Amino acid sequence: MQNKTNPLVSFSVLRPKMIMWFMVAITLALGAFIPKVTVDTDPENMLSKIDSVRVFHDAMKKEFSLSDMIVLGIVNESDKQGVFNPRSLANIYALTQYAKTLRWKRKDAPDKFEGVIEVDILAPSTVDNIKQGGLGSVRFEWLMKTPPATREQALEIRKQAERIPFLNGTLLSEDGKALCLYLPLTSKDMSYKVYVALQKKIKELKGDDQYFITGLPVAEDTFGVEMFKQMAISAPLAMLIIFLLLWVFFKKLQLIISPMLVALCSVITTMGLLIGTGNTVHIMSSMIPIFIMPIAVLDSIHILSEFFELYQRYKDRKQTLLIVMKELFTPMLYTSLTSAAGFGSLALTPIPPVQVFGIFVAIGIMFAWFLTITVIPAYIMLMPQKSLDNFGVSSESKNKGKGGLAPILKKISVFTVYKAKPIILFMILAIVLAIYGISRIQINDNPIRWFKKTHSIRIADKVLNQHFGGTYMAYLLLQSSEEKQSVKTAAKSLLKSITDSLDNFKKDGYRVDRMRKEISKTIKIFSQQTDIPEKFISLFQKSIQTYSENAPDDELDVWDGVIYCIESFKQRAEVFKQPAVLSYIVQLQHALQETKVVGKSNSIADIVKTVHRELLLGKDKEFRIPDTKKAVAQCLLTFQNSHRPDDLWHLVTPDYIKTSIWVQLRSGDNKDMSKVVDFMDKYIKRYPPPVPLSYHWFGASYINIFWQNKMVKGMLSAFLGSFLVVFLMMSYLFRSVLWGFLCMIPLTVTIAFIYGTVGLIGKDYDMPIAVLSSLTLGLAVDFAIHFLVRARELFSKYKNWKLTVSYLFDEPALAIARNIIVIAVGFLPLIAAPLIPYKTVGVFLATILAVSGIATLFLLPALITFFQKILFGQIYSTKKIMCSCVSCIIMAVSFVILVLLNLKRFLPSGPLTWILIITGIIILAAGLCCLVKKRFSSCNK
Amino acid sequence: MKRYLTGFIFMAALVINTLISTRIYAEDISADEIVEKANLMAFYQGADGKAKVNMIITDSLGRERKRTFIILRKDIKDGGEQKYYVFFKKPADVRNMVFMVWKHIDTDDDRWLYLPALDLVKRIASNDKRTSFAGSHFLYEDISGRGINEDTHELIKQTDKFYILKNVPKDPQSVEFDSYNVWIDKKTFMPLKSEYYQKDEKYRTIEALETKKIDGYLTVTKSKASDLRTGGFTVSEFEKVQYDINIDEKIFTERYLRQKPRKWLR
Repeated sequence: MQNKTNPLVSFSVLRPKMIMWFMVAITLALGAFIPKVTVDTDPENMLSKIDSVRVFHDAMKKEFSLSDMIVLGIVNESDKQGVFNPRSLANIYALTQYAKTLRWKRKDAPDKFEGVIEVDILAPSTVDNIKQGGLGSVRFEWLMKTPPATREQALEIRKQAERIPFLNGTLLSEDGKALCLYLPLTSKDMSYKVYVALQKKIKELKGDDQYFITGLPVAEDTFGVEMFKQMAISAPLAMLIIFLLLWVFFKKLQLIISPMLVALCSVITTMGLLIGTGNTVHIMSSMIPIFIMPIAVLDSIHILSEFFELYQRYKDRKQTLLIVMKELFTPMLYTSLTSAAGFGSLALTPIPPVQVFGIFVAIGIMFAWFLTITVIPAYIMLMPQKSLDNFGVSSESKNKGKGGLAPILKKISVFTVYKAKPIILFMILAIVLAIYGISRIQINDNPIRWFKKTHSIRIADKVLNQHFGGTYMAYLLLQSSEEKQSVKTAAKSLLKSITDSLDNFKKDGYRVDRMRKEISKTIKIFSQQTDIPEKFISLFQKSIQTYSENAPDDELDVWDGVIYCIESFKQRAEVFKQPAVLSYIVQLQHALQETKVVGKSNSIADIVKTVHRELLLGKDKEFRIPDTKKAVAQCLLTFQNSHRPDDLWHLVTPDYIKTSIWVQLRSGDNKDMSKVVDFMDKYIKRYPPPVPLSYHWFGASYINIFWQNKMVKGMLSAFLGSFLVVFLMMSYLFRSVLWGFLCMIPLTVTIAFIYGTVGLIGKDYDMPIAVLSSLTLGLAVDFAIHFLVRARELFSKYKNWKLTVSYLFDEPALAIARNIIVIAVGFLPLIAAPLIPYKTVGVFLATILAVSGIATLFLLPALITFFQKILFGQIYSTKKIMCSCVSCIIMAVSFVILVLLNLKRFLPSGPLTWILIITGIIILAAGLCCLVKKRFSSCNK
Repeated sequence: MKRYLTGFIFMAALVINTLISTRIYAEDISADEIVEKANLMAFYQGADGKAKVNMIITDSLGRERKRTFIILRKDIKDGGEQKYYVFFKKPADVRNMVFMVWKHIDTDDDRWLYLPALDLVKRIASNDKRTSFAGSHFLYEDISGRGINEDTHELIKQTDKFYILKNVPKDPQSVEFDSYNVWIDKKTFMPLKSEYYQKDEKYRTIEALETKKIDGYLTVTKSKASDLRTGGFTVSEFEKVQYDINIDEKIFTERYLRQKPRKWLR
């Protein structure tokens, strides 16, 4: 196919030293950026900073002063009073006091602190208790001002806290065995520092208490630290194993250093470029080295394999190299381009870390390709001549030298030709089973599950979620969606309420007629002056104020009454003081509880009910929402006479237009959060609120399900897109749509197999799994390309498929088999990783390689055997690919779908649009077809 | 020449005399005496008093909440027992709510709360006066005054205008601060600023923003309490301040919580 030697290759062969220097220089230059690395483990960054859900989440967090929290649990299983014994409580007190000090002056703003937000700590010594104070009085005091001296006092604290719904199940476990401290942080990235400090303090404490630290920020930060360790261990370990395997195959230490060099330099330059361009290293991008390495090694192995086979025949490395490179240049270019396209397509997903990952893996692959075709030849040229003397397979020892692989391959080649039909049947069955498996796929992710079961964070998570309402937070925001009144309607209803009030005064014997006139006149004047109701009211109130100040003494009470009417009117929008609305919140909280996932929820209604009960002698039947809005307001003002009045503003905005229900989930699984969201959607539809309210979710757990849904959709369309790109490239490479299809089969089977397995074994479809589709696309198509390119070349030479197969299973298949083994085995060390995503990638990488290798080596020859007449019929045809109307239409349609996939987000949706678009495609394809047929005279030969 | 000399001597004597007297004066007065005078100045002006207070609570996000209440005060003994009656006018839904306090010196205060919507008079039992006053950044203790015997006082610095006193609680467990410094005007003994510390961190301040002489009494008419950790603050403005108006002591009883003393609440 390629008749001339590529100038790049000949340059490398002629000027090997220059190439080596170039490689060293660029690696050092870009590698210099690596120390500047910043790690980002925040799942929130799965959404772009300007994503509406994230913007809303941030805005709400600010509006309700909510912070990310570290949860510190203290459990005592040995004392029969649980943690409610003097020693445990003394420890808890000491820890709280210590946690208060975990604040540090900010470097950029020395007057500000970062770390634990002291005022918002939830701990027995920092929360308020409202209780009966004897003789019908009510008492506000710290729940545990100082640690108790006796066991009875300790138990009393438990009894007190249990009566406060806000604390029960949140601060203390319902079984009394455990207590939780909630330590809000100024920013998430402080969590590791606080975590380490707490661990240190815990070591100093005596007693039989167990301590558990969890919370999303801790998990994220710890993950970041582990990620570094992982990168430092796994990637080099994988390299070492690849190295050993290469040595087994080629037995030439000096030579096999070269693919390692290529892999290392590709990884360093890519990571250097990634960091140098200001990107953070996210969980996804930390996997870039692991993805680039096998792909970088692949091509080198092809060259070495071929060189190994041919060297003894020519005994001249330059000549051998040029022949090898000539043969391999096109397949290598295409394999790299397809892999790059597969990963590059991830740039189209709506998830920034995945975009960065895709783009940089694609860059890395192309760079590895460049290094492979230049550095490998240059390296071979620089080796001392005599070190090559006993290298490779001499024609005499040909069969001996290939070790155990060759005879196996020989058997496969025979098998595939004679058992073509059963193989194809088997494939079809496997695909059917896989489709069933895919239908059972469960989409789910959970950052805590990124750790192994035995990791302290996983254990803490399990223990604390058993004892408490849940350590995963989501918030359900309810917002008044009452329409804004116009000035006219505002004026009308205000006048009505004032008139009613005046009527009452009249009944009590006051003279009100003069004022009545005055007021209605004033209302009329001011309502015409402005369009903004608030402005109208304030103007009107000012004027009434002036009247009342100059009024005679006997009118004072009435003016006072009028001002009261205006003041009440100003509060008309405060829906979350309305008893009916608060009762609805209680109802929603019960519904949340029904999902079983939610362990606990807290709302303004809980506060109102508790205060109401304690005001009315602490009777359980008074644990309810009072009957009037005023009573609610007065309970709330009473609450604000406590040590922590601002706790209220975590649950409602001061204008009482928005409220947030704090929902504690026992599980961080995205599927559980989705379940809650779906359940509440249905519930609210079925039981609508008493006043117009809109509702929205926010909080970390919700953000997670939102990006997850986005990821699944995004990955699917990215995969479809890259599938089409690769298909078009293959059709072009082989100048045949049919061969293009053939080339896509191994990877299709592999992907079906992988995702079918994921579905069947019940593994959650999470982020690493999602990204594997791109890897499969990249790797599986590589083998197919090598295989088919060689198959066609050999067939042109021998014109006989059976003969072709036997040659095909000689050196080309050997290279493929070696590749499969090297990479599959090379990545098995990842299974030992402490972080689950790496484990997953390790296992699946090995599986993908094995399956796609088998699919290539068994399926392709079987399929070719079965369809050889049609397939090879095309080779003899000299017609251009576009001459076939069918090919033409298929390619046109694929191309248009590809464009559409990419433009999708800019297009309006709806059936009509799609009908128009599809019609357009058909017309376009048909037109193209006609045009081509007429244009090219060569078609009509 | 002689006249000049006499003049000079006279002037010099005057200056020296002033200097000496100031020095003696400064050395003479103890920290406790300053505190005692300041306490009378800030909380015991006149035999009784009345004011309308507009309170604006601004939170860390700049959101404002407003409260308006009438405050009535009667001193039983200067520097000793006092009675307070706080009547809420705004917002409308807490109108007619009342806080009543009988301030004692060596025992816990008596406190009452009246909630009109529940028609409920409630005694509040508390030995802790450092809770928020109606959700503002002022604490209950800032309104009625902290007992001067609860802290040890030390004069740490003097400037031209101020005595600066450091106050350390005798029972550190009873309060959230470790110490506070007060700036007391040397001429008037009016405390104009307090800064509260936990260890070395200043976390809370109270400042007088405006003072006026009303009915012959120096009065803080605008003051501000700030929470330096959250950035929230509350400003109180005192209007219609009146002194010595002979408020009947019987108004400060449970009966008048339900039955509001209209005359005094205008």
